[in-house]
Amino acid sequence: MLNRLYEQYRDRAVFYIVYIQEAHPSDVWQMESNVRQHVVFLTPKNNEERSEIAGACVRNLHLSIPALLDPFENPTERAYTGWPDRLYVIDRNGRVAYKSRPGPFGFHPEEMERALKTVLAKDLREHTNTH
Amino acid sequence: MVRSIVKTTGLTAAALSVAWLGFLGVVYTNMKAPPEQFGAFMSKLPVPFYFVLPFETLWFRARAGTFNVGDAAPDFTLSTLDKSGAVRLSSFRGSKPVVLVFGSYT
Repeated sequence: MLNRLYEQYRDRAVFYIVYIQEAHPSDVWQMESNVRQHVVFLTPKNNEERSEIAGACVRNLHLSIPALLDPFENPTERAYTGWPDRLYVIDRNGRVAYKSRPGPFGFHPEEMERALKTVLAKDLREHTNTH
Repeated sequence: MVRSIVKTTGLTAAALSVAWLGFLGVVYTNMKAPPEQFGAFMSKLPVPFYFVLPFETLWFRARAGTFNVGDAAPDFTLSTLDKSGAVRLSSFRGSKPVVLVFGSYT
């Protein structure tokens, strides 16, 4: 779903995955579903270890969206309350146009797509008006 | 006799309510705590409790965050996972909207 949105809108919007603190490391809060899919990782101890898990994530889930790594101290997660997952659309003026509710319950790409369409339509109108 | 039954029932209900609210408070406090603390708390919580809690409602409230739609997005500079460079959010200002997908593998 996210790859599809990326392919569809990548020429009109910038997309990034922000790889943040693990939701279910095996030493803290193991999930049966992760064990079944062999997604079992201990809590990374530094940036390098987090980067390795993030790389496995991108490869194994075949994510085409470019990924950014939130450092080990989690500054971006804290600023955006991004854990365990969350979607945002930032408009061209640097303002928050869409903020999903916190995942997993609040994570709905189709809801984000509607917001993105609105932002792009508004940009198009403004662009047309100034020319 | 009847009066004492009513009284006992009432007291029991009151005690359960207080315990319930206290429990909700503990869960909510942990939801607001850093993720690793919340994860540790949840991993010890017996599964049946998941179903008797207004979990989503508490979660949405606890994790509402510090800014709203319409506010300036907090700027950040982050390294790309492929280590090809760094990306600054505000560098896209004036050009394109930015979609951010927060998440992890697990």
